[in-house]
Amino acid sequence: MAAAQLTDEELFSELKRLGFIPGPVTENTRPVYLKKLKKLREDQQQRGSRASKGRNSGTTTTTNNNSSSGGGSAAGASGSGARPPGGDVTHLDANKSPGGRPALGEKRHGAPGKVVLGFSSDESDVEISQKKRGLYGSRRERASVLQHQQPGPNVTPAARRSKGLGAGSSSPLGLLEERRNIMGSPWWGDRAKLHPPGAEGRGYAESGNSDYRNDVDRESRTVNGSRSPFTPSSGKFAGGYSDSEEEDDEEEEEEDASEVGRYRDRRLSSRRSHSKSPLPPPFHEGARGAESDREKARGGVIRADDKPGTAGLDIGGDRGEEEDEARKRGQGSKLGSGFLRNRSFPLHADLVSGIMGEFGGSSSGPTSYNNNHVNCGSDDGVGGFGAGLRSRYSAYSSLPATYRLNHSNHAAPNHSYGQTSRKPKLPVPEDELLQQFRREEVSASGGFSAHYLSMILLTAACLFFVLLGLMYLRMRGSGEAVVDVVTKNHPFGNEFDNSYADEQKDVILKLLLHLHDHLAKIAGEHDCGDHVQHSNRNISYTEAFEYLMLHSPEYEDFWDTAMEWLIRSGEDVGIRLIGSHPEESVTNVSQILCLESTHPRMSFICRFRRAFFTVIYRLLLFVAGVGVMCGVLYYMKYRWRKEEEDTRQMYDMVERIIDVLRSHSEACLENKDLQPYLPIPHVRDSLIQPQDRKKMKKVWERAVKFLSTNESRIRTETQRIKGEDFLVWRWTQPSLSCDKMSAIPPKVWQGKAFPLDRRNSPPNSLTPCLKIRNMFDPVMEVGENWHLAIQEAILEKCSDNDGIVHIAVDKNSREGCVYVKCLSAEHSGKAFKALHGSWFDGKLVTVKYLRLDRYHQRFPQALACNTPLKPSSKLMSTLSHLRLRSSPAGSPGFS
Amino acid sequence: MSSTSQKHKEFVAEPMGEKSVMALAGIGEVLGKRLEEKGFDKAYVVLGQFLVLKKDEELFRDWLKDTCGANAKQQGDCYSCLREWCDSFL
Repeated sequence: MAAAQLTDEELFSELKRLGFIPGPVTENTRPVYLKKLKKLREDQQQRGSRASKGRNSGTTTTTNNNSSSGGGSAAGASGSGARPPGGDVTHLDANKSPGGRPALGEKRHGAPGKVVLGFSSDESDVEISQKKRGLYGSRRERASVLQHQQPGPNVTPAARRSKGLGAGSSSPLGLLEERRNIMGSPWWGDRAKLHPPGAEGRGYAESGNSDYRNDVDRESRTVNGSRSPFTPSSGKFAGGYSDSEEEDDEEEEEEDASEVGRYRDRRLSSRRSHSKSPLPPPFHEGARGAESDREKARGGVIRADDKPGTAGLDIGGDRGEEEDEARKRGQGSKLGSGFLRNRSFPLHADLVSGIMGEFGGSSSGPTSYNNNHVNCGSDDGVGGFGAGLRSRYSAYSSLPATYRLNHSNHAAPNHSYGQTSRKPKLPVPEDELLQQFRREEVSASGGFSAHYLSMILLTAACLFFVLLGLMYLRMRGSGEAVVDVVTKNHPFGNEFDNSYADEQKDVILKLLLHLHDHLAKIAGEHDCGDHVQHSNRNISYTEAFEYLMLHSPEYEDFWDTAMEWLIRSGEDVGIRLIGSHPEESVTNVSQILCLESTHPRMSFICRFRRAFFTVIYRLLLFVAGVGVMCGVLYYMKYRWRKEEEDTRQMYDMVERIIDVLRSHSEACLENKDLQPYLPIPHVRDSLIQPQDRKKMKKVWERAVKFLSTNESRIRTETQRIKGEDFLVWRWTQPSLSCDKMSAIPPKVWQGKAFPLDRRNSPPNSLTPCLKIRNMFDPVMEVGENWHLAIQEAILEKCSDNDGIVHIAVDKNSREGCVYVKCLSAEHSGKAFKALHGSWFDGKLVTVKYLRLDRYHQRFPQALACNTPLKPSSKLMSTLSHLRLRSSPAGSPGFS
Repeated sequence: MSSTSQKHKEFVAEPMGEKSVMALAGIGEVLGKRLEEKGFDKAYVVLGQFLVLKKDEELFRDWLKDTCGANAKQQGDCYSCLREWCDSFL
């Protein structure tokens, strides 16, 4: 078309198509872009003629131009040939522009809106990001081809519909359909054209689709014949659909017997997360049900949901799913076969095969893809199609067209079939789903049981310990064995055994046992805090007697003997006899006043409580002890720190005093009117601020003491100043000439040689790293630490610039180089201005910028530096000459 | 030192503000006048055009040529001046 007649949008789209992304086309830029367009077209022509002959004429046949050139030529050819006049351009543009093809999806160029072509799940309406001409161009061309097909369906919906390609309500489908209708064989031709652009391999070639590829003029009928190999695969795909998640999830359940197309649709739709609208629900349902898991990688444009037609579509869709290949295969085959059986393959077969052909031609082929294709017939290849499709743009481009047609055609008939054949499909995918769930459950339960096991073990251990504790406590508490045991083991010795008969013995022992128990109970209750009932632990003699009488009358006889025996035995039987004096032991029965148990029996709870409290108390004690220790430690640390601080302050004060005195004495040397001593209070008042005087009193005192004891150059004496006696300090170090010499460093900054302006310095600082030359002469330097002086000098010169983070003096450089790194380019610029052209120690310093990476290579330690360095002393000795001079520019040797 | 002119350096050293189009490197009186006639009276308008053309060299040069008849050297100067300005300030 003539350039002048192009509208802005057309120009824009043309340029885009040719692989060049233009800016906005305005009246100003229009001529420029027109020229560009012309140039691009010329280029294209050249390329086109090189690559394929027929392209420029826009014929349908294009030989395989899988090679990159195909892209360009395809675009040209398709553009010229396939594009319907005028109106379609805009349509195309509209279609194209939103259709952002992610880099992955070259094939994705299927209409963005139509997204029906679920190339892959992340296909979306993203702007095409690829800038590479070739790629872009080829993609564009393919897209344009696709888009050509899109408008097609719009035009004539009717014809294809009859075929049962239910495009459904979606516009893309409609478009596809229409397009297909118009295109008929041209469409095939387009497809053929599409194949070449598909630079990716042609998996289909092997499986016999290659004939499709080349047979561009084949009628749809012929396609039918070849469709059969595909159908099984599509069926398989159907199976695969059930498991994957689809965005149009509602459709998952439905199955359509002949749902290959549906599956494909599903796949496409699911793949295309964005393309929700295009596919009508029936499609999705059909396709989805079986192949939920295919969703991810569906390269397939195969939105077409019509069952028969979808066979081929399915395959295409399946191609996208390499990852689920294995699984899908298994499932797919199951489902597929089911589907196949149910399916009837009417005319759609032609579409399918056509699509397949396209796929074959255009899809690049990882071997899986090929395998899939080969396996189509063998009923297990479907899964394999998977991921390969993703990279096969061209296949998709062709597919969308077919799919759309299929879709549109399917719309009506699909519903009817869908219902009938859906049922058998349903169980199959559900089976798959169930299987999946079962698998998950198994794994879940496995993990579950492991979890349980650990819990059980833990609780068992806890229980064990608790039981152990209980038993221990019980043991302790009970103490007394059964009566019989007691009666067997009594502490009275053989004598007891001998003196009484057995029954008597028993009676006596029982008596004692009862007594003991009673006493223990009382004591226990008393101890447990039950002070109401038993005011004291012991019971009186008479009470005990009465109690025992209650028990059994025969005790009465043996009461006294029992008491005697108790007294006689030296061991502790658990009963203590208390006389009138609690401390002395009872020797006679008549002395017994009260009895007390030495083994109180407390209830379990009581015992537990007591034990618990005991533990708590002990713990608290321990914690308190630890706390005290910590407190002591902290206190000590604090004190120590405080000491340090005080000492530091003291030394600081001492130094200041020394400085003051020294400077005063120097001043005295020059000015004979001053006294060579200074009163101490005056020094104090001049050094310490009035508000700090109270605070620093202690420090001052210490300093004074220190000076008087440790400082030999200062003499403390008493002088009479203006009639008042003062303690004064006299600086007694004579003639500081040597001191002065050392104090003044030889290295000083001596002014600037020239003003820095545009001519002799870069206008803006380029990098944060500087190389400073001519700072020193390595031959002349003596001593160990002259480089420190150099560093100091630089820091002092740039003292206003808080951005120097690393300085390195190259001691061995003949040129006297110093490397400096700053925080940012801005800081380095400032440093540059401060240093460049200055005189230092009689040498003219020059500065230049260094690259940051080279700097880091040379000084890797500088990578970590990011704290600004400061000159170490406030004195700025290297700037002293600059300070003293009246004019900073007065430097020697300045020419 | 680069081989840029003084004008270039001056232009690139600071934000252009309201500088006239003749402050651009490569644009002298004659070209400047032509640009002003076309409506590009300030440097920022030309900058706008430069940006609209997505900073593409070829396009900008073509545009410049078409608009004011700049020769190759002038085109190059102007382009590099604007580009460097953009690098620094945009």
